[in-house]
Amino acid sequence: MDQIIQVAVLGIGLGGVFALMGSGLSLVFGVMRIVNLAHPSLIIGGAYIAYWGFKLYGIDPLIMLPVCAVILAVTGILFYKVFFERDAKSATYSEMTVLLTFAIAMIVEGALGAAFSNTQRVTSPVYATDAFFIGDVFIPKGQLYAGIVSIVIIGLLAAFLKYSRLGYAIRATTQNREAAALLGVNVNMVGLMSFAIGIGLAGAAGALTSFVFSFFPAKHWEWVAVLMSLVVMGGMGSILGTVIAAFSLSIVAAFVGTWIGSTWSTMTFFLALFLVLLFRPQGLFGEKPELV
Amino acid sequence: MSNFLTVKGVTAGYGDGPAILDDAHMTVQKGKVHCIIGPNGAGKSTLMKAIAGMLPLRKGEIEFKGENIAGQRPDQMLRRGIAFVPQERALFPKMTVRENLKMGGYILNNDKALTSRIDEIFDRFPILKERADQHAGTMSGGQQQTLAMARTLILRPEVVMFDEPSLGLAPKIVREMFGIVRMIADTGVTVLLVEQNAVMGLKNADWGVVLDLGRTLFEGPSAEVLADPRIQELYLGGRRAA
Ligand SMILES: Nc1ncnc2c1ncn2[C@@H]1O[C@H](COP(=O)(O)OP(=O)(O)OP(=O)(O)O)[C@@H](O)[C@H]1O
Ligand SMILES: [Mg+2]
Repeated sequence: MDQIIQVAVLGIGLGGVFALMGSGLSLVFGVMRIVNLAHPSLIIGGAYIAYWGFKLYGIDPLIMLPVCAVILAVTGILFYKVFFERDAKSATYSEMTVLLTFAIAMIVEGALGAAFSNTQRVTSPVYATDAFFIGDVFIPKGQLYAGIVSIVIIGLLAAFLKYSRLGYAIRATTQNREAAALLGVNVNMVGLMSFAIGIGLAGAAGALTSFVFSFFPAKHWEWVAVLMSLVVMGGMGSILGTVIAAFSLSIVAAFVGTWIGSTWSTMTFFLALFLVLLFRPQGLFGEKPELV
Repeated sequence: MSNFLTVKGVTAGYGDGPAILDDAHMTVQKGKVHCIIGPNGAGKSTLMKAIAGMLPLRKGEIEFKGENIAGQRPDQMLRRGIAFVPQERALFPKMTVRENLKMGGYILNNDKALTSRIDEIFDRFPILKERADQHAGTMSGGQQQTLAMARTLILRPEVVMFDEPSLGLAPKIVREMFGIVRMIADTGVTVLLVEQNAVMGLKNADWGVVLDLGRTLFEGPSAEVLADPRIQELYLGGRRAA
């Protein structure tokens, strides 16, 4: 019994981080119909910022988090202006952005490799290697903090989307772009803002990632497929769906990792993706297939 | 001739494509219900989109209260008091009824005024009040259409345009829908609507406009249009096959 709780706790901690990673991706897809394959590479970028902040100046990654978020949000705005705005009117926009974001992912990876080498890094604030026990359940502080902070940020995002004027505009644009424009929403500005927020969330996730996982420039390939499976399962563009998928799959993956073998734990995500595409292509929470 | 809203010799199309509207014209009188009819692909929706500022005019004018407003953006048209509900899917399905109404007043940017206007809408459309916190996409077709039409009223427009509001509705619900249209017109708001069923549309309108191949064939009081033999020809005749 203790072991079950133990594994579940670890799963929830990771689930929070994956949920945060996935929510930014989902937001951008929802509004822009951009399948941003570069999202995980930008998370790694955020992780490097947190890493160097700690290494050079001893700044705690949790304090670096807003810095990472802002730097990445600005990067997102630049990318949007340079790469995505021009083509937004093209009929094959979604298809083109797949190639484009793939290229950006490789460029980001190359740039990070050139700047920081391919050595594995991990930010090591004291709590990253610390843990405590509740009864016999072992709780690593690093994962706990990362999980809690992720959940708080997702909660803030949800409240922002639910109650703010820009949040209304973002939701409206996601659900029906033409109708939103007809009601006076500046859908291009909404696209830019959601891109900035989405990439900013990648930066925040990067700061957390930096002390939860060891990372190196090419690490993002591992996450692309994991995050894609979360977004697809969540119903392409549904942030809530993505978050639920992240928690449930992370918990399942934690059990698979413990009982079947750790190499199989990542497989959980792909198997789930496979099953969802086969039996419920609209995702667990989507209402119609939008994958085409 | 009316000097309220006039569409004059409008030519327009999508992107670099062919002209879909070719010298279309239309006269709109304040506070009346106008019905645009014509066969599939005649350009009825395109005409509404052109008036709503959704596609640029290649030629012609849209004169509203003595001013040419052609070339303005949809949000500028909205600010001038011309609101448009496009054919199908005008709502935000995963937003609640109340949230959809709030989006209707997005450009007001004034929460207090918006709340009181939404309350007014709820008074006029009790069904929407009942469903206030339900997702729009989960309502029946008739209720969704009611919401789409009611949502335009939030901004207290002078002109509302509904593209095929009867689409996919049961006959009884269509009658209710036309009741709402009349109720809106009775408050002094000018209504333009597109209707697939020409007879039904004209019977519920004051003015009829017949569109074919992007051109206005003729327009006039709906009873006259209804009685015109050219209508028979357009809908039943083999002219187009020839
Ligand atoms: N977004 C678009 N891009 C290119 N062509 C379009 C577009 N929308 C409509 N068309 C073309 O314009 C023509 C007129 O279409 P429109 O929708 O205005 O007709 P309609 O009279 O509303 O028809 P319906 O009764 O089927 O609604 C059609 O030939 C159609 O193919
Ligand atoms: Mg149409």
